[in-house]
Amino acid sequence: MIAPDWFRDDRLPHIYCTGCGNGTVINCTLAAVEEMGWKRDETVFVSGIGCSSRAPGYILTDSLHTTHGRALAFATGVKMARPDLHVVVFTGDGDLAAIGGNHFIHACRRNVDMTVICMNNHIYGMTGGQGSPTTPAGAISTTTPYGMSEPAFDLAELAVAAGANYVARWTSYHVKELTKAVAAGLQTPGLAFIEARTQCPTNYGRHNKLRRVSDMIEHLRSHAILVQKHDRLVAEGKPIPEGAFTVGELVRRNRPAMGVQR
Amino acid sequence: MKLVIDESRCKGCNLCVLVCPYGIFQEGTELNSRGIVTPVLDRPERCTNCRLQALYGRMLCGVCHMICPDQAINWVEEKPFEPHKVEVEF
Repeated sequence: MIAPDWFRDDRLPHIYCTGCGNGTVINCTLAAVEEMGWKRDETVFVSGIGCSSRAPGYILTDSLHTTHGRALAFATGVKMARPDLHVVVFTGDGDLAAIGGNHFIHACRRNVDMTVICMNNHIYGMTGGQGSPTTPAGAISTTTPYGMSEPAFDLAELAVAAGANYVARWTSYHVKELTKAVAAGLQTPGLAFIEARTQCPTNYGRHNKLRRVSDMIEHLRSHAILVQKHDRLVAEGKPIPEGAFTVGELVRRNRPAMGVQR
Repeated sequence: MKLVIDESRCKGCNLCVLVCPYGIFQEGTELNSRGIVTPVLDRPERCTNCRLQALYGRMLCGVCHMICPDQAINWVEEKPFEPHKVEVEF
């Protein structure tokens, strides 16, 4: 349970649209932080630009709202200057994968000791629904009115390949699992990357016949398959359902981490 | 403990209707003062957290509390103890 004193009550209700999944991800993150027993003045939330990046504004801790895509660069600076602080980065798919892609792969390569939570809503939600690098092929957005013709980025696999110590993916429907994954990420030394697929009924669902919040949640729920099931299907040579994405813990390892206090 | 929806925060997305295993949340029909149709509670005393949180000393189900994007669902202490009939459906 989240203690209400983690929220800036005077800022709530937040600006997110009806049914936006970002609020759920904030809940899960705060529940995990509370589980860790971190103090408010030892925790820093860093974010870039976008819907997801407004999250630290509603949390009563020290926070940095930085330039577009550079949240990881600022967070690396915070961690290097004050290794005793716990750094959590909130970021979106446009922030992390499009403009901040280079910062992302190099933060994973350096394995800086922080937790990155990516709220992947498959679209640039704040600016009016333009196609982002994670928009699925065939999806309709403002800039792809005939359907996205490019393949999408798989951010979790990218983090695994770039060398993050802990990588997990869940959706905003799987709240308990997401909370556990964030808590595991907070405990892991080195970079922990948690991709949370969220619903965006306003800008993604509206163009893709998923206008209702429940339709969008049902879409996420029915297209998520566990990593273990995916591996089993591959081993048995059975076809993987179309449009499915894997959820679960993708990697947990002990590469040397940077910025861990000894 | 008593289950309450904070009318000043709820935006009426009805995600709680989708996830509650007891079906306590029902889609509302009337606009509130902010022009939002908030869910209504159907016999909230059936909620496992309302009944047993004090006994177990921890959060029991709490999925609605976690999934609510607007942080509108909470449990509050009932000041005077009110004995009431609990109906559990199987």
